Amino acid sequence: MEKYWNHAPCGFLTLSYDGNLLSINQKLLDILDYNESELVNQHIDTVLARSTRLFFQFYFLPLILEKKQVEEMYITLLTKSGKELPILINASLQEQTIFCVIVPMTRRTEYENQVLTAKKEAEASKAKLEEALHTIEHKQKELAAVNRQNEAFKIETQKELQLAKKIQETLLTKPVQNKNIQIESYYKASKELSGDIYGFYRINQYQYGIIIMDVMGHGISSSMITMSLHSRFQKLITKGKTPQEIMQELDGHLHHLFHNHEEAWHYCTAIYLLIDTKQQRVEYVNAGHPPAIYQSPEGKQQELATTMLPIGSFHNINFPSEILEYEKGGRFFLYTDGVSEPLEPTGLLNLLHENVNTPPFEFKKRIIHDLSKASLHTDKQDDKCFIIVDLK
Amino acid sequence: MNQHILTRHNVKKKGNGKQLIIFAPGFGCDQSVWNTVSKAFESDYKVVLFDYVGMGNSDASAFNREKYSTLDGYAQDVLDVCTALDVKGAIFVGHSVSSMIGMLASLRQPTYFSQLIMIGPSPCYLDDPPEYFGGFQKEDLIGLLDMMEKNFIGWANVFASTLVNSTAQPEVMQELEDRFCSTDPVIARQFAEACFFADNRQDLPHVTVPSLILQCSHDSIAPASVGRYIHQHIPQSTFKQMEATGHCPHMSHPDETVRLIHDYLVNKETGAISTDTGDIS
Repeated sequence: MEKYWNHAPCGFLTLSYDGNLLSINQKLLDILDYNESELVNQHIDTVLARSTRLFFQFYFLPLILEKKQVEEMYITLLTKSGKELPILINASLQEQTIFCVIVPMTRRTEYENQVLTAKKEAEASKAKLEEALHTIEHKQKELAAVNRQNEAFKIETQKELQLAKKIQETLLTKPVQNKNIQIESYYKASKELSGDIYGFYRINQYQYGIIIMDVMGHGISSSMITMSLHSRFQKLITKGKTPQEIMQELDGHLHHLFHNHEEAWHYCTAIYLLIDTKQQRVEYVNAGHPPAIYQSPEGKQQELATTMLPIGSFHNINFPSEILEYEKGGRFFLYTDGVSEPLEPTGLLNLLHENVNTPPFEFKKRIIHDLSKASLHTDKQDDKCFIIVDLK
Repeated sequence: MNQHILTRHNVKKKGNGKQLIIFAPGFGCDQSVWNTVSKAFESDYKVVLFDYVGMGNSDASAFNREKYSTLDGYAQDVLDVCTALDVKGAIFVGHSVSSMIGMLASLRQPTYFSQLIMIGPSPCYLDDPPEYFGGFQKEDLIGLLDMMEKNFIGWANVFASTLVNSTAQPEVMQELEDRFCSTDPVIARQFAEACFFADNRQDLPHVTVPSLILQCSHDSIAPASVGRYIHQHIPQSTFKQMEATGHCPHMSHPDETVRLIHDYLVNKETGAISTDTGDIS
């Protein structure tokens, strides 16, 4: 039996309470490269690495003395040449002797070291990840705060725009209806504020001035220019100025506005009709605007085409007017391109022709109906404005 | 408050005597290491056993990384227990690092203690050549921490098998086994760092409580030269060389340990030996 345990596939030794080596098998002597006589009666410290000596005293001895057994403890032995040898030790206490079985675990230790290294690396990565998450959370909170501010700003801006829209709309003139003339109009901004503007005024018993304008672009900047132009043309028209004078003045006004302010430069298309119901004629200027349409009671159509460039485009140009005679029962139709473009290809002219006998208010409703139908097929939204003038 | 402290430190009071004797466990283990030795004092003394926070059946949730980063935190544990028990003039028996913890406590509240009994003490484990040799170099202590870390992996298995083998009250058995030496790895590592990198050499001359140093033979943790160093620097100290070998005589040689403590205390009471003529054989 002794022969067997000497060459068993594991180390075996016995210790006294004091930690003195009482016996040791040949296998372990071979592993540690000692002779039996060199180790028996020596203290176990002889074959323990220095760190293990501490561990042995702090953990191994208290455990074996108090609990009578130790299982799978990992410690490091020293060979005679001073080489460190990681081992697992199982021990039991019987009759005041400590019996120990020892299994070298060099390869296993390498794996364990790798596992421990990996664990530490993973922990470090986890810490970094947590830090990153923390940063992201922080940024998200900041973003949420900015979004709330933006939302508040947006609501505030929306309120302001609605108010501005109301102000712009208060400038628009009301429908006119008397024994000589009936005027209906329609006005719809693509956003809150429009770059279109119109006005019609009774100048005297027989004369009416009708203007429609489209400032390039749309939205806030264009709308502000319409406000400025409106205050001008209202005075000019009601004073009974000629179409030429009016366009000249408005052109000068735009040039004056943007003098030294190139970046704010806007031009504007406009058409002005001075209607004289007594003489049954119209004097007009069309400054780059889509042609107004005259339709006789029989449905004959005539365009009041562009006579000059848009106002505010070139300096020092004249705006000579044209004259058109009309018949009672005839109809003028003025509009901006936001109205004509969606109605292509059948076009405004057809629509007008089809509705030659339709009263102005009904005709207006039809146009609006056609416009809203057309808007279903396009994302492009432009300011819309038109005026129907029926002459009696 | 008192009850809270007593629960936190799993304080146990036993014995019939009036004189209090407090046993403090060394690094790594709980109060059960005193089972044999403390029993011997129960007939003449009131025996007090306790665990540091994080050890044994103490309340580990009271662990505070900052507080327990130095031995002062553990000394505060001792003072808390003493205050809760309204201790005056107690005998404090500390094994290993608890000797220094008890000493630090006595420097803050000298009246709490009448005797300090140090088993295998060391004021500094690291060598500090040329004057001082604690016995270890930094790499040895780091090696110990490394070994602790690796053994925590294996210990889960140890306790699992113990549970299987235990037929009576397996839950209780598991509780006891789990707590004996296996503390939370984080806490154990912190205690180890607080212990093994401490240097309390400067505190020794300020000790006013009479002290007994029990020095084991062939103690690889606290060699005799270290025990003598303490004896030379603590004013009222007695040095006693033990026949017991190793670092845990209270477990490996409880009879001699009991006899030496007992003799010392009896002689102190009767004034048979003077404090400064300890046997330094």
